[in-house]
Amino acid sequence: AGVKALVALSFSGAIGLTFLMLGCALEDYGVYWPLFVLIFHAISPIPHFIAKRATYDSDATSSACRELAYFFTTGIVVSAFGFPVILARVSVIKWGACGLVLAGNAVIFLTIQGFFLVFGRGDDFSWEQW
Amino acid sequence: MAGFLDNFRWPECECIDWSERRNAVASVVAGVLFFTGWWIMIDAAVVYPKPEQLNHAFHTCGVFSTLAFFMINAVSNAQVRGDSYESGCLGRTGARVWLFIGFMLMFGSLIASMWILFGAYVTQNTDVYPGLAVFFQNALIFFSTLIYKFGRTEELWT
Repeated sequence: AGVKALVALSFSGAIGLTFLMLGCALEDYGVYWPLFVLIFHAISPIPHFIAKRATYDSDATSSACRELAYFFTTGIVVSAFGFPVILARVSVIKWGACGLVLAGNAVIFLTIQGFFLVFGRGDDFSWEQW
Repeated sequence: MAGFLDNFRWPECECIDWSERRNAVASVVAGVLFFTGWWIMIDAAVVYPKPEQLNHAFHTCGVFSTLAFFMINAVSNAQVRGDSYESGCLGRTGARVWLFIGFMLMFGSLIASMWILFGAYVTQNTDVYPGLAVFFQNALIFFSTLIYKFGRTEELWT
């Protein structure tokens, strides 16, 4: 795990963003409202980092704070999927664009999760892996 | 014939220790249910913007359900039993009263949403989707609360 994983993750991230941009920029669609899901992508790791900072005791398998972080992270992910569906329901975007944005969401969230799996190992977030 | 499933076991998957992950799975499932409930309501509010179709007062049920979710899950089972070392700011009896009020708010919102569905939508001759949305929002938040409260074990916190 190292450079190869990083390159693979950046590739999948680029594919996900490509799906998102296709959903906005194709001639058939041309509406850029779906770009707001990028906000959900950006804030999705935040509950995890807050919980990591707030609990110093790492002997326990889990803690109430960490579980609350999982809860809110799941909520952010669900919201990122719900938002394009709502836009398509009121015909702000077309359903084809919605489908592309949902596919992009899935790939980007898998990429973010991949980052945590590959680079989150170890007792603390050390910079040695870079 | 009786008991023919007695020796049935689920196929073993030994790569992940599910007992350690129980709390994480419960939190994620609760999160999915809770936020799906809210997005169903947002969807109804967006598709039916007029107050005649979806009275804005009906949002109250979802708000109280959400408040109840956080009240119920703010107290741990250990505090209610009186087991934990720190008694919190209310003590054991206070924790029980808090939990009681939380559950009452939750059940009240659920019943209110059913009342809205039947009283304001099913019995009138209108499109029933907003009523269903209010009901499903509160039902999903209710189940999410149950899973978050009782699906996690506090033994993993020690």
